[in-house]
This record gives sequence, structure tokens and C-alpha cells, in this order.
Amino acid sequence: MSAQGPETPHDRVKIKQLPTGVQGLDEILGGGLPEYSFNIIAGAPGCGKTTLAHQIMFANATPERPALYFTVLGEPAIKMLRYQQQYTFFDHRMMDGAIRFINLSQLVLDQDLGAVLDAIVKEVEASNAGLVVVDSFRTVVRKAQAGASDVELQGFVQRLALHLTSWQATTFLIGEYVEGELRDNPVFTVADGLFWLYQSIERNSIVRKMQVMKLRGQESVPGLHTFRITAGGLQAFPRTFGLTDNKSVHVKGLRRISTGVRELDALMGGGIPEGDSLLVAGPSGAGKTVLGIQFIAEGLERGEPGIVAMFEELPNEFMQRAASFGFDLDKNLKDGSLKLIYLRPLDLSVDETVHEIVNAVEEIGCKRLVIDSLVGFEMALAPDFRTDFRESLYRMIGALTRRGVTIISTVEVEENFTSMGLSNFTISFLADDIVRMRYASINGQLRKIMMVVKMRRSQHSIDMYSYAVTAKGLAIGEPMRGYRGLTSGIPGPWSLESPSPPAAADRNDPNG
Amino acid sequence: MDTPSPSTQDLARRLLAASQSASGPHIPDGVAVIETLRISLAKFAGDAGFVSLLRRAVALAGAELPALQSVKIGENGRLDGADSAISALGDEAAVAITAHLLALLVVFVGEPLTLRLLRQSWPDTHITFKHPEADQ
Repeated sequence: MSAQGPETPHDRVKIKQLPTGVQGLDEILGGGLPEYSFNIIAGAPGCGKTTLAHQIMFANATPERPALYFTVLGEPAIKMLRYQQQYTFFDHRMMDGAIRFINLSQLVLDQDLGAVLDAIVKEVEASNAGLVVVDSFRTVVRKAQAGASDVELQGFVQRLALHLTSWQATTFLIGEYVEGELRDNPVFTVADGLFWLYQSIERNSIVRKMQVMKLRGQESVPGLHTFRITAGGLQAFPRTFGLTDNKSVHVKGLRRISTGVRELDALMGGGIPEGDSLLVAGPSGAGKTVLGIQFIAEGLERGEPGIVAMFEELPNEFMQRAASFGFDLDKNLKDGSLKLIYLRPLDLSVDETVHEIVNAVEEIGCKRLVIDSLVGFEMALAPDFRTDFRESLYRMIGALTRRGVTIISTVEVEENFTSMGLSNFTISFLADDIVRMRYASINGQLRKIMMVVKMRRSQHSIDMYSYAVTAKGLAIGEPMRGYRGLTSGIPGPWSLESPSPPAAADRNDPNG
Repeated sequence: MDTPSPSTQDLARRLLAASQSASGPHIPDGVAVIETLRISLAKFAGDAGFVSLLRRAVALAGAELPALQSVKIGENGRLDGADSAISALGDEAAVAITAHLLALLVVFVGEPLTLRLLRQSWPDTHITFKHPEADQ
């Protein structure tokens, strides 16, 4: 405590944060890049280090505080410019003075570390640079290691960091490192920030991930984050999906919303509690997507914007299917109250997919979301990401339902006639509520039956109902009384010796 | 590679003219314009980067003006020892080399960046390519 009283947050120096220019990365960093920090961008060749540095430069350089890009025996500057200008972030106008390239290759080859330091310092002082990139710093280090001791190298890095920070420059050293080099490396010791980019190939799919291994002065989001290199440069997908703020936390179940099938609403105790996640599990052709269409159409009718994330059907096929049940959703598509997200490339990352959905939810103020289907979703992912599927799905559903979005996820269940599973993917833990559809062989007919298996906070019907997919959607029929073994799919008549089936009015324990 | 477009040759001539007024009496104008380019380009592309481009430009110009085939370029990109050859060939040789050098830059980094690089070296000269239609 000082003589003036207790310390307050206002007494501490405020570190300004610079934008990275990379969508999603500022959030991963905890707001942006700490100004005047001394950073390393590390990773194997081809993983996007140079592009990341360029994006940061183009996002921050000004003629008054230019960015200096020192090239050292790496990619020749002319080739670098040739390729980097293909990205949309590349602005030719900034080459008039805001961004300057300086080649140090010859100096590194001919002279010692002191001369390299002098050259960098001279350029920084002369230009009043606000941003400095050295690419590749690894080359400088290799040269140093060939002719200088570790102590000299550490001294060089420390003087470089000291000088550039004193001159109020935010610095990025780019290097091709492997993780085994992390220990006892003076470069990493001195650095304020250490950003590691990874690239791997998994069964024909390229998977790119990044990690903030170190960032002094602020709280970054830990762990590996997926990123993609597009025409716009790097795009990162934070594991938090941009949902780190606690705005508008929704209390689930304050009201019930209709599924669009009145009889099903009744079986569920009045509809789906708003903000719940409902899993609709059933075999192919059971009508899961039809229920999704009715759920979305019902919401649109009530002025609740909806999104369908589809992984199996094309958007136009979905629209045709909706029209075939009497739902003309064209106007909703045009006015933006309905959004169809079609994601089917085979190398999607789960976080990337989830981001697409979350962004769309934010964009249209979505109240109802249908994911059709979880099986298709998983199939659309690069194999390496499938192991993350459940975790990411769990985080997304949690984040969206907390915001009051009601979600129906369909999942195809491989039907067998001995038991009744809820999902082959053991993802039923994601659901507040579960509706199970299945086929049953009765009197030589393959009948459809439906049951509400779980409603997390309310009572629901325990009857199994027959239903049909009609021209107007799902039509719930009669409770399947007088049968035994319905859940096996091969029921038989309830024999006279057996106890009576429970009354239709019976309800289960909501917490059971 | 094709002969540089008329607009590129025109720009090469204007750079030469700008260098004529700026260079001293003992430096051939053709050498001066390339030296100015060397200082500017070597700073960001390195000496080796500039030399490789210049060698290619001289080789291409040599296909048009065989006398240029004897021109040698030093490791640092200076035309040491080649001054006399360029001096003897006059503006035509300097324009040919410069135009090919500019054309190479356009091929590699595009016209906007090439112009920006040139403007840094000749800040007082109006530097632009003539409208592309003029070349067709």
C-alpha cells in the first residue's frame, strides 16, 4: 500500500493492444498484440509465418510509424512481394513509405552480429519505425552459432530487444523452429510473445493450428486454435468461438416454444423449453429433417429468425423439400430471417465450422437453429478434427443455448432390431431433451414410432406413438398400446398374463 | 521474353533523361540510371537479388543489341568495366537494359509496386506507365 492509499488498477501502466489484422487472432491473444513487445513467430516452413507477419504489418504500419521488414537469407523480397500481393490485405499504397523492405542477407554473410545489430538499429532510428520484422531470424541465429558463443548470441538478442523496445517498436522475429528447441534458447527467453504455427497432414487433409505459448502482460486463450490460410490471409478460429463475453445470459426454459408439430409439443409437456438443445435421433427416412423444417417454419411464422446448418442436403434441395410440405421459405431467405449454411468440404475444422454457425447466429439474431445432421457434420471434418468433434460441439451448443438459441440436432441411428440406442456417437449428453424415432415391424408393416425419451426440466409423455410423414409434415397417431417389445422394433402382442400397460396419462419423473 | 512494351521503353527513356540531368559529367547516363536502380532495389532485394535481375535484363537486351552480350556485371551489381560498352552503344543500350529491368519488375511484383519503387528513386520525376491501351 502506498502513502496515498491502496493501489488501484488505474495506477498500473496500460499496455495498448495492436490489432493483428487476422480475424479471430485478437481474441486468442486476449485483445491484440501488446504494443512495444518483442515477439517470435515460429513454425515449420509453409505454415504461414511470413503471411502472418505481413498481415500484422498491413494492419498497423503508417507513414509516420512505418513497418520495416528485414529479410535475411530467406524468401527473396521480390518473390515475397510477388506472392504476398495476392492476398486481399495487401495494399499497394502502403508501399509508398508505410512499409519498407530492407535486405540484410549480405551483411549477415559478411559480418558479425554487432554489424547486424547496428544496421537494424540505424534503420529503425532513421525511420521512426513502429513495427519491425526480421525474416528469418533463425538464419541470423545460425550464423551466430557458427561464429559466436551462446553468451554472445544472448547478448545480441537482449540488446536487440532492448533497443527496439526503447525505440517503441513492436518486433517480430520469424524463425523455423521445432518445439525441441524451446529449452534454454536465449531467443525464447527474451521474447515477450511466442506464437507457434503448426501444419500437419492427416489422411489427405491439411490441418493448421496455432498456439500462443507465451505472452507477457495479458491473458491469452490457451490451447491450440485452428486457422486457415485463405485469399484474405490467415483466419483464426478461437476455441472460444468469439463467445467469451457474458452478455445476455439466457435462463433456459422460461417459456416453451412449439416444434411446429402440435401433438409432439403436447408429448413434450408443452413444446421445447426455450434455450434447450433437442436431439432428434432416428434411422434414415424417419422424418428427422422434416421435423427440423417444421421447427424452423414455425419459428419464422412467429418472427423468430432461424438457421439450418446442413451437411448432407444442398440448400436448394432443402428449400424444395420445405416447399413440398407446404412451407414457402423463399421470402424468409430473401429478408434474411432464414439462413441456410451448407458446409460439406472434407477438410473443415470443427472450430471453423462452429464459427460459421456462431457468426450466422449473431448476424441474424437467430432464435432457432437446426443442425442436420451431426453425422454429416462429423463426416465433413478433416479426420484429425474428428477427435475434437464432441468437445467442440459441446462448447458450441453450450454457448448458443446460453444465449437463448433453441437447437434441434438430428442424428442418424443405425437401426437394429434387438435394442434401441440413442446415438452411435454417444453425444446424447449434449441434449437437454431427446426425441427418438424408430421403425417397428407390426403386422407385416414397417411402422414409424416416436417417443420422448428425455426432457431435462419437465414432465413428458412416456407413451410411444405411431406417426407418419404426410404431405403436411409429421402427423402423430395413436399411442402404441397392446404391444410388448416396441423398443426392439419387433413387438409382439401384450399377453393376457402380463401386467397391464401404464395408463396414457402417466408421466415420468422430470429428473429421472 | 518479349521486347518491352512501348510504354516501358518510354518510361526507361524518361528515367534516363532524369539521370542525365542528375549525373555528373564523368558517369555515363546509362550507368547512372542503372546505378540509381541498384541502390534502390538492392536495399530491399539485396545485392544478389538485384544482380540476378540485372543479368537477366542484360541478357534479354543482348538479344536485341548483340553488342551488349559483352557487358559484364560485377557481383555487387555495379557495371564496373562495362561503362565503356554502354557508353559506346549510347542511349539505345541503356534504354534497352533499363526497359527490360523494368519489365522484369512488372512481371514479378506488378506495375503498381514497380512504379512505387521507381518513385522512391526519382522523387522529382513524374513516373508512370502510359495507359495500357497505348501499347496495343
